[in-house]
Amino acid sequence: MSRINRYEIRIAGFGGQGVVTIGKILGEAFTLYEGKNSVNTQSYGPESRGGACKSEVVVSDGEIRYPNVRKADVLIALSQVALDAYMADLKEGGILLLDPHSIKHMPDRHRYQVYEVPTMEIAYDVGGVRFQNSVALGALYPLIADIINESSLLRAISENVPAETVEINIEAFKRGMSHVKRDEGT
Amino acid sequence: MKKHPMLKYLKEEGPLGQRMPLIMCPGCGAGQVLNYTLHAVERVMNEDKIGKENFLFISGVGCSARLTSHYLNFDSAWTIHGRTLAIATGSLLANPAFKIIVFTGDGDTGSIGGNHFIHACRRNIDVTIVCINNGVYGMTGGQVAPTTPVGAITTTTPYGNIEEAFDLCKLAETAGASFVARWTTAHPHQVIKSITKGLRKKGTAFIEILSQCPVHSKSSPVAMLRELKENTIQISKKKESGEGKTLIGEFCDLDKPEWNESYQKLIDQFDHEEGKS
Amino acid sequence: MSKEMKAHNTNKRLHNVHLLKAGEYYLQGSQACIEGAIMAGCRVYGGYPITPASEIMEYASRRLPQVGGRFIQMEDEIASASLLIGASWGGAKALTATSSPGFSLMQEAISIAIMSETPMVIIDVQRPGPGQGYITASQEDVMQARWGHHGEGSIIALAPSSVQEMFDMTIEAFNLSEQWRTPVLVMAEEPVAHMRERLLIPPWNEIEIIERKKPQDLGIMPEDYLPWGHDIVAPMANWGEGYSVNFVGLVHLEDGNITKYSPQMHYDCIERLLRKIEGNVNEIARIETEFLEGCKNLVICYGCVARTALEAVIEARQEGGLDVGYVRLTTLWPFPHEKLRDIVGNVNTIFVPEMNLGMMKHPITEALRDRSEKIVSIPSLGVLHSPEYILSKIYEEIR
Repeated sequence: MSRINRYEIRIAGFGGQGVVTIGKILGEAFTLYEGKNSVNTQSYGPESRGGACKSEVVVSDGEIRYPNVRKADVLIALSQVALDAYMADLKEGGILLLDPHSIKHMPDRHRYQVYEVPTMEIAYDVGGVRFQNSVALGALYPLIADIINESSLLRAISENVPAETVEINIEAFKRGMSHVKRDEGT
Repeated sequence: MKKHPMLKYLKEEGPLGQRMPLIMCPGCGAGQVLNYTLHAVERVMNEDKIGKENFLFISGVGCSARLTSHYLNFDSAWTIHGRTLAIATGSLLANPAFKIIVFTGDGDTGSIGGNHFIHACRRNIDVTIVCINNGVYGMTGGQVAPTTPVGAITTTTPYGNIEEAFDLCKLAETAGASFVARWTTAHPHQVIKSITKGLRKKGTAFIEILSQCPVHSKSSPVAMLRELKENTIQISKKKESGEGKTLIGEFCDLDKPEWNESYQKLIDQFDHEEGKS
Repeated sequence: MSKEMKAHNTNKRLHNVHLLKAGEYYLQGSQACIEGAIMAGCRVYGGYPITPASEIMEYASRRLPQVGGRFIQMEDEIASASLLIGASWGGAKALTATSSPGFSLMQEAISIAIMSETPMVIIDVQRPGPGQGYITASQEDVMQARWGHHGEGSIIALAPSSVQEMFDMTIEAFNLSEQWRTPVLVMAEEPVAHMRERLLIPPWNEIEIIERKKPQDLGIMPEDYLPWGHDIVAPMANWGEGYSVNFVGLVHLEDGNITKYSPQMHYDCIERLLRKIEGNVNEIARIETEFLEGCKNLVICYGCVARTALEAVIEARQEGGLDVGYVRLTTLWPFPHEKLRDIVGNVNTIFVPEMNLGMMKHPITEALRDRSEKIVSIPSLGVLHSPEYILSKIYEEIR
């Protein structure tokens, strides 16, 4: 695995899309199973469903001081509002993973590596919108495979979902993964 | 001269000097209530074989609260106005075996302590509340209290009180206390009996004792005691004659789950291994 | 003192199978502080919901019965703080967590806890004010921590910066409260309460836990016991131990007598309370430093702002070529005036980034006014400073 100085992932969308869970799973995977340091933060509006929601993971092999994203390496945008709000903070050439179902105004494909993954659609197909976060994680994995093992992500997922849904979540992960081919973004 | 039998439960002196006399005004009912309470405590200590170290007296602020200030030969606390029941709850969470007596007044219970009062009753925590109700804020100079009757002239109702008074016993009962009683300082045996029952009740026991404040009512203590007897009527006798009189007696005596009893079941769900380091 | 502490320590330490085993965990600060509390022996929690501290209470409601402790949701914050007093005197280590509006409500109870010298711990996850304010990041209670209670007397307040410190400093808070017989405040902020990071938990029996000194251990009999005497920190007999302790909140003699009032008695009683904490500031307060050797400018910070500040200082040194040093106050109160003066030489500018409009700037100025030409606040309200923001203010001043 490559050594990371500071890698910044931001996930944003509406409450109820699993934004917070995605961040927590990534943080756990990097820290407990990859032995790296990570800080996972989140912020959300007072409404638990429908309100704007953001989660961040900062990863490093060294000490992490400032806990928030300064200039994201990855942005997962699950809503138009999220994309509009956070696109400017994404590095040039950064990874932009978005769900075309929610995004009507597409970003500049020359600035970023854009990957369109119908996370909500796939989730419904697998068994319900509550599996959207596992689909998104699966889609993200190939894009960060040089800094994290699939097994770490899968283990973190299984520790964070109800026992009886572990299998479906892993299925959702694999379906998300199959939608993405690295270096084919944009 | 023989010493008062309850004096052994008071500290006449501490290591650094005299603590007596009690601060109570001449003729104040609080001293009587202290006497009755200590009788009840002695009864429970001797008959139920409960050690002195299990008893804990807590008070807030006011004339009633001064009973615990530094006189008692028991563990005691003279704390902050109205918060006694929250403090008592804390002690019970630390050690459910405490037998707690809370000395409080009508202001300490019904005004600033109101919220804690209704929640303590709702939770039915194991505490015996001895509420000395003199219908006024005595310690601070005679202001109106939530138990002062309509029309009364006090230092903050110079034109007559326009507000209705609480019935603290009804409040306690509605909020969920297991044992509720009201007597007066002119009913020593009934008070002792009810406090004894309250101490033995597993749950919230609320005993209201109507008491005389001779200083603020500018009446003589004897006259006030007579009034207390004449203006109150026991529940059993209410039918015969009761117009305009205050009901006294034991209003409720229930067996309900006490807070710590219920919480213990939560703790028992988990295996614990408590051992030496 | 420490010999007595250790002896009592082994008597009181009780292991429980539900304490987290030694190892690595990924937890929120809200969870870490509860794990620290129960590791320190806390077995009573009473609280009231308030954003952004409710997660602490929710986690406590699950963990306390697991370790044989008791949890209660009280009717308000006044009741919660009062509960701690009763629990502590009843023999337990007790905790509550709240946010700024609730912290205001607790001040009377804190005041009587100071007077009666009651060990207890309060976590304040600060939020902006005044009034309802908002629910995000803030350091606006740091003065209230010291001066919010009515009356004289001092208090101990710690400022954690990470999930690990939410664990470690809650244990430290309990130890300090037992050692000095005082309420101790953990002044947290929303970011540190809600963030998740690695938490390293050492083996249970390797964690130093301090218990209150007791008269029984010192051979003091009930008839000779002075509840507020014998030493600058009086041994504490709890209720239920046969010592017939009369807790009072009024000025008193060492045996609790309240009738022998005189201005001298009043002064002696209160002055000792202040001296107990302030007079031992060098033992109680901790400071962290980086890059101090010969630095020409200085950043003094605390809480989670310290993380941003350190990032900014490193960048200013590496990329900006500036000679900036870094001081972090891990203890806010008692304020370490002397320690600061010992370690800080003459500098050009001192920067104090805070999530308020300049509060700790005051005691810092008091301590270091003659060491620096300028002491500059870098305020941020409602949001954690970014490194860019702190850097821009530093460059503005000294470039």
